[in-house]
Amino acid sequence: MLRPRVIACLDVKDGRVVKGTKFVDLRDVGDPVELAHRYEEEGADEIVFLDISASHEGRGTLLETVRRTAEVLFIPLTVGGGVRTEHDMNALLRAGADKVSVNSGAVRDPEVLTRGARLFGSQCVVASIDAARSAEGAHGPGWYHHTHGGRKRTELEAVRWARECAERGAGEILLTSMDRDGVRTGYDLELTRAVGEAVSVPVIASGGAGAAEHLRDGFVEGGADAVLLAGILHDGLTTVTALKEALAGWGIPVRPAPAAPATAEGGAP
Amino acid sequence: MTNDTRVRVALFDYGAGNLHSLAKGLEAGGAEVEITTDWDVALSREALVLPGVGSFGAAVRSLEGRIAEVRAALERGLPCLGICLGMQLFFPDSEEGEGSGIGLIGGRVRRIRAATVPQMGWNDVEPLAPADPLLAEFAGLTAYYANSFVCEPEDPATVIATSEVDEDRFAAAVRRGRSWGVQFHPEKSSAPGLALLRSFLRQVRTPTPEPAREEGR
Repeated sequence: MLRPRVIACLDVKDGRVVKGTKFVDLRDVGDPVELAHRYEEEGADEIVFLDISASHEGRGTLLETVRRTAEVLFIPLTVGGGVRTEHDMNALLRAGADKVSVNSGAVRDPEVLTRGARLFGSQCVVASIDAARSAEGAHGPGWYHHTHGGRKRTELEAVRWARECAERGAGEILLTSMDRDGVRTGYDLELTRAVGEAVSVPVIASGGAGAAEHLRDGFVEGGADAVLLAGILHDGLTTVTALKEALAGWGIPVRPAPAAPATAEGGAP
Repeated sequence: MTNDTRVRVALFDYGAGNLHSLAKGLEAGGAEVEITTDWDVALSREALVLPGVGSFGAAVRSLEGRIAEVRAALERGLPCLGICLGMQLFFPDSEEGEGSGIGLIGGRVRRIRAATVPQMGWNDVEPLAPADPLLAEFAGLTAYYANSFVCEPEDPATVIATSEVDEDRFAAAVRRGRSWGVQFHPEKSSAPGLALLRSFLRQVRTPTPEPAREEGR
């Protein structure tokens, strides 16, 4: 039985995990390598790094961070932020990412998804969609995709765009509701369901998680294959372990947290 | 631990994807890992690991002209672990793309029959009885998958574990001789996955006899 996934997301800037509201008031919350490892021990099924470094130096630091993380992390790592070409994808994968997420880069050049899938396999290519509701747009009222960390609106209607990304080669959709991001009132279930019904690749619900009930609703009502968490973990309000225990109590067949932590210290074979 | 007690493993590099985690996982299990693009190196260490990264096309290109040698080395008993795509390379070909695999195990590689493809996430691996030594320490195992294709061996006796997604039961692990294939990613399956890599390395140095199965291998 394929288990619904709980994914921990870390915003990374210049090699540190930061937290803020809508990319402002950023504060340092720790070392990405340590935090990723801690979330693995708590039972997170995957880790996502979203790089929000603006500078060229920040990009180099990111590769180093990914390299250090890959030394100690034994669950999948997705890295996104600023990925434009298959060369960017290759650099992140070779540094130790298992999947790469693409947002603005795919809007500029949708074929990058196809080339990435051909070179690395579609399971490595994640299309990141930042959607916000709008009463008007090229396709009428609906959700519209945003680029540049949510700062630039496009005329791409999110459900159609998700379908196009999957057709072009993306093996997964990371779907963030900008309306719910940071609000902690639950995922946008209607959006999640609409995208899930439009594509045959897995959908990760993101934006709005504030409590275990929201995760449950994301799976049961939103039909999500995975749910993504950020703020509530970094604030220490709850742990992945506690959230998974609550989900299991409601009959959601999540993978239990491992009994013994994974370790890179090995014995003789 | 001194270096000479470490199992010398060649990790083949098709030129794409993340090899760090697998190399680290093998090292944690007691291996000295050499990442190589050279089949001469790959076939001359104590064991060979074929990783599960990249596309079928890229992987078969790296095999071009060397298939017979690789197959002969595995048939002679070079211990090998094929992971995901690496397991699929044991088969003659794949629906994923053109080109030939190693052909160590007869059968085919077909698209997974599920509503959502790729299969992305943790799934239960159910070892078949009698348990193969690779899986002997696992009553059950939940492991990470990221695949659109699965292997369908002609000889069911080569299958040592299965998993199921949307009622499509498929080979989670296969074995022929001293070659093992796993469809999941042990290097991405946290502590139990690392234990499986250790189990493989133990089989390299101190092989346990294969349990008898209904049909020969």
